[in-house]
Amino acid sequence: MNTAATALDADATAPPRPRGGGVPIELREVWKEFDTKVKALDIVNLDIAGGEFVSIVGPSGCGKSTLLRIVAGLLAPSGGACVRATNARAAFVFQDAALLPWRSVLRNAELLMELEGYAAPDRRQRAEKAMQLVGLSGFADAYPHQLSGGMRMRLSLARAMALQPDLLLLDEPLAAVDELTRDTLQEELQQLWRKLNFTALLVTHNVHEAVYLSTRIAVMSPRPGRIEKVINVPFAFPRAPELRATAEFAALTGQVSALLRHHAVGGAE
Amino acid sequence: MNSARSPLPARLVAAAGQWLPPLIVAAGFLGLWALLTLTIYKGKGFLVPAPQDVAAAFAENFAVIALASLTTLREAAFGYLIAIALGILIAAVLSQSRILERSFYPYAVLLQTVPVVAIAPLIVLWFGYNDFSVIIISLIISLFPIINNTLLGLQSTPRSLVELFAMHRTNRLATFWKLRAPSALPSIMAGLKISAGLSVIGAIVGEFIIGSGGTQGGLGVQIIFAQGRMYTSLLFAEVICATLLGFLFFLIVTLISNALLGHWHESAS
Repeated sequence: MNTAATALDADATAPPRPRGGGVPIELREVWKEFDTKVKALDIVNLDIAGGEFVSIVGPSGCGKSTLLRIVAGLLAPSGGACVRATNARAAFVFQDAALLPWRSVLRNAELLMELEGYAAPDRRQRAEKAMQLVGLSGFADAYPHQLSGGMRMRLSLARAMALQPDLLLLDEPLAAVDELTRDTLQEELQQLWRKLNFTALLVTHNVHEAVYLSTRIAVMSPRPGRIEKVINVPFAFPRAPELRATAEFAALTGQVSALLRHHAVGGAE
Repeated sequence: MNSARSPLPARLVAAAGQWLPPLIVAAGFLGLWALLTLTIYKGKGFLVPAPQDVAAAFAENFAVIALASLTTLREAAFGYLIAIALGILIAAVLSQSRILERSFYPYAVLLQTVPVVAIAPLIVLWFGYNDFSVIIISLIISLFPIINNTLLGLQSTPRSLVELFAMHRTNRLATFWKLRAPSALPSIMAGLKISAGLSVIGAIVGEFIIGSGGTQGGLGVQIIFAQGRMYTSLLFAEVICATLLGFLFFLIVTLISNALLGHWHESAS
């Protein structure tokens, strides 16, 4: 049977560590129980190197969002530790884009820098650059409700990028957009990650997305959440969109899906 | 001056489309009213006066009605404005702590459940037969919807936005002004709209209780006078004025609400 320990062993078999940059994260025996005595996370161990792109996949309710929030510092673990450089700048991207509807696109892009106390001229300049990065330059004065779902997510990414984060945490960011937009945004996200050198931790239930974007995939089992297996994704970067149509890609997604199915059934027993 | 606006005839058609349906309803209502006074209520003008009799009574007593309306308007406006300031302040304080809310909210509900007509005599006993008592009664009846809606708005900030602000260590005050207050604005405006009409009702009830007190008094006083004299057509004219007064408040709040929310919230039209 796979345990957290064997998941760590799998981790030891030389995952591809593409480049430096970004902040490493170490999850040591982290577990989480809520006030209601619901155990959301069983003991989780995971080592993420600086600059890696790691995805966490698992069925709904497996605690993957809880795990992401522990890494973000939004939740305290009940036990164990999440170790990361204290001066690391982290940004969080939410599924619903989490924009302020009363602020223009530009002022939304400036928000996190405003909260972090950046000077106004600096803010403006960085926000404009970040908007350019995601192709939102012409929309500075628009309001979020005037944007499509895909553009709202681009703005959410731009807002995070403007901070020049060392760590980007993504909570199912593409779950609510249509498939065509999702593919494009996956490609753009990969470009951003390659260009800007941050560590990325993505929670998703979309296996294709995880395989396309990640250096490694952590597969979780439901209730209480546990990392059953960590799978290396061997494809070299940059990954062309056509990669999704290859037999190797299909084989790997098949493998991850089979694991998910297996543990979903196991969890129901 | 050939701007991008649509040509005048097209705009007239659009305006007609907006105003015509309610005008048709008004005409139908007037027609039905006139018909009733010509049939069932024929010769019973003291019960249901004909529309033209009401118009005549209005013209005849214009000076009295105008002065009474201004008095009621002034009282209701004071009551309403104080209710807005006090209601938003109370809700803002209650929203800061669960304990505060649990301790005081039930008593805010009492404001709504205590029959204002029943405590009005008490208010008069305390504050005297004057405008001040009327303002207090108008304030009491307007206060709860503002507290309730503001509190609801302040407490229903989207979770992802609260987490986003927490991620960047934003303090309570900044979170309130940059996030909770603006996101509560649509809800606050909804509360103000409910209280707009209530404040006029409160003023009229107050005037019923204090009576003339030797002065000319507001619409509530004039309505009692008209009733005493069986001058039903005047009574109708005054009731219509009181109704329009509440409507005027509502209209002003709606215009302010649209100006504040128009560019970002769907409740504005």
